[in-house]
Amino acid sequence: MPETLYPKEQMHRIAYTKLTKDQISEKLSAVSGPTSASPLSDVFAGKSIRIVTDNGPTLSYTFNGNNQLSLTENGGSAVNAGYGALTLDSIVFFSHMIPNSVRGYAVAIDRNTNLATVFDLWFCGYKDNREVQREIYYGYVEQAGEDAPKGRHATTDRMEGKGFYWKQDAGAETLELYPSTSYSNFVELSRLGGELSFCAPSDYVKIDDNHYIYTRTECEFSGTFTGYVIDLNRIEQVGTRLGFKANDELEYYVFRGNGKWLGQFARFEKLGDERGAEPPPPAPGKPAVKGARRVYRPFETMPKMTRAEVDAVCAKSSTAFEAPSGPARAGGAGAGMAGNLGPSSDWLAGKELTLRYDTLPAMEYRFADAETLHYRKEGRGAWIKARYHAYESCPGVFLFGHLLQDEPNHDGHMVVADFDQGLVTVFNGYLNTPYFANEAGVKIHFGVIEMDGLIPPKYRRHELTDEMVGRSITQNYSPGLTSMHVYTTPHSLSWVIFTDTDSGGLEWSGPAGYVKIRDGLYFMYWLEEACNGTLGTILVNLKTMRDVGIGYVCGARGLNMGAIGAHERLVGRLDVVPFYRVRESGRLE
Amino acid sequence: MTNKSTSSRRTFLKHGAILAVPLAAAAAPAAVLADDGLKERLAKLEDQSAIRELHQNWLRDINRANHSEASPAATTLFADADDAARGRLVRGIAADRFGELDAIEVAPDGRRAAGRFHCIVETETPIAKDCTLAQMAHAQGSGFVRSTERRVLNVEYAKTNAAWSIAKAEFPPV
Repeated sequence: MPETLYPKEQMHRIAYTKLTKDQISEKLSAVSGPTSASPLSDVFAGKSIRIVTDNGPTLSYTFNGNNQLSLTENGGSAVNAGYGALTLDSIVFFSHMIPNSVRGYAVAIDRNTNLATVFDLWFCGYKDNREVQREIYYGYVEQAGEDAPKGRHATTDRMEGKGFYWKQDAGAETLELYPSTSYSNFVELSRLGGELSFCAPSDYVKIDDNHYIYTRTECEFSGTFTGYVIDLNRIEQVGTRLGFKANDELEYYVFRGNGKWLGQFARFEKLGDERGAEPPPPAPGKPAVKGARRVYRPFETMPKMTRAEVDAVCAKSSTAFEAPSGPARAGGAGAGMAGNLGPSSDWLAGKELTLRYDTLPAMEYRFADAETLHYRKEGRGAWIKARYHAYESCPGVFLFGHLLQDEPNHDGHMVVADFDQGLVTVFNGYLNTPYFANEAGVKIHFGVIEMDGLIPPKYRRHELTDEMVGRSITQNYSPGLTSMHVYTTPHSLSWVIFTDTDSGGLEWSGPAGYVKIRDGLYFMYWLEEACNGTLGTILVNLKTMRDVGIGYVCGARGLNMGAIGAHERLVGRLDVVPFYRVRESGRLE
Repeated sequence: MTNKSTSSRRTFLKHGAILAVPLAAAAAPAAVLADDGLKERLAKLEDQSAIRELHQNWLRDINRANHSEASPAATTLFADADDAARGRLVRGIAADRFGELDAIEVAPDGRRAAGRFHCIVETETPIAKDCTLAQMAHAQGSGFVRSTERRVLNVEYAKTNAAWSIAKAEFPPV
């Protein structure tokens, strides 16, 4: 039986063990230091160095060979620990834990400048003990008889928009995209089969114009920390990975990797602004919190409903395209995701047609007016009245949606009807999905339009496509509400929220699907799984750089279908598609 | 659907509550002056001076205020119901150097006064947290729409125990 490429559960579905501090201590005490698939560097063997950091510890190291060191923190007692070091040009990266503790360090030193960046790492600093915490200290390696250097490594936005394929020395392959200054995307090609991308809070530190440090902590997932130095020209990395796998096995190693540059997205900060992400400010009147970082934790706030609860709220309230009401919806800041929605269309009013799907019962429609339709499954039962809205994205192509009545899973149809080609695609949203009943699921069905005067094709259909994969587009929905989609894999996308200085900020991702309607016109969906359960759909028109979409969401207030619309900007494209092609062996490229 | 809100800030706006601001120092008595007209004129000038100082101190408080919900200086000042219902907040006020001159009128009884100030006002309107994007924006300390516009600030003052205080302040709809 061949080993499967795919995990039993994707990362956002794994119920990671809530490890206790004792369990973590026990697992850490069982290893003497990080492992490495590459030969460890002996660059520091037999040497002693003293690292002085700003507002942080002073670390005195004596290195005994290439895997044992002695450390004194702030002049305290010396402790012995196992370590691993790797070099990249003039930069040395080493990592070690401190015995009988749940903490350690990862350090990058540039021997040309003697500047150092120290990552203070520890477990058990958050309610989920396995989530690695980190604080970054900048400083230098003291040189006898010399003044302290004035420069420092610093956080930066210079890495923003880049993307790389990486292959580590132990074989792990990833795509890693940096569309934000405080978050990043990673696609686990070898560990998880590369279906979905995930997001993690990240640090970006500039060593010099060619070398940077990147970190991510897989918060909301395993809590694993990955940090490495990158040489942007040679596309090489040296770094460390520290955390616990899904099976709770300790993963602690240093690694060397090589990669490929995937391209560069546009950035939106003011020209000349190269600042990186600032840590969140302390609460008023409170001191700064060590290791503070912004972490998006959607699963904590997500409503989690049972099937009975979903059935009850849907019976109580199922609404579609409600008229804006109240001042919060009057426009401007309160317009939400509908602020840049174009006018709805009345073109369908008075028309009768059948949408004949290949894999779904045909749907007969009578459009009474611009907001009312009647439908029935072909030849079955009475006509059912439903509220709809339609939007003409480009001449002859309409997006419309409506909820279906009396369906056990409270289905909603989001339909792109292409009257030029006689083709139709529906994203069939539904509830009562396996993990949380209020989390939407979706199925894609293709078909043709049958109506008087229209002869549809016999074989041609809209098609799934990877033409959008690797692209990124900003969506401005209303004043102050702009996101950036990153189409990371053929089956997922991410969204990034801009900060007040137009840097990429918090980011999250979900499963997605892409259908090509015609050149430059794509119908896409994403599922906000383990987030808030929304099914979002958009019809992206690359020629007009506008999108119109329909959201389908169930929460405590009931089931709602509503329209969204945005003005877009093209951010660029990273060359990721080749990595998702399945080779003859069945493995990814 | 109702626009009614239980927000204390909005309630404040509706009822024009008295603002908690530092009291101005009492004016010195003008009894030494023999001429009643001069005495009255001096008193008026001293009242205007005290009110101006009170006004400037109050503006400094507003401009210094952080974005804490609890900050009294960050309160909503708009009399426009739509502004108020959207939770629009004043975040900074500066004199409109190219607007009309400020005016402070002291009532004949010397117990009340009204000020009219042409200002450049910075405002902030929170985006409703009704979608994932807005929730994420708020989670990273954003989630507001900021704007700057010219407005006229109308302030009513009251004199109690020889000290002036602000009784009501608002930006009427333009």
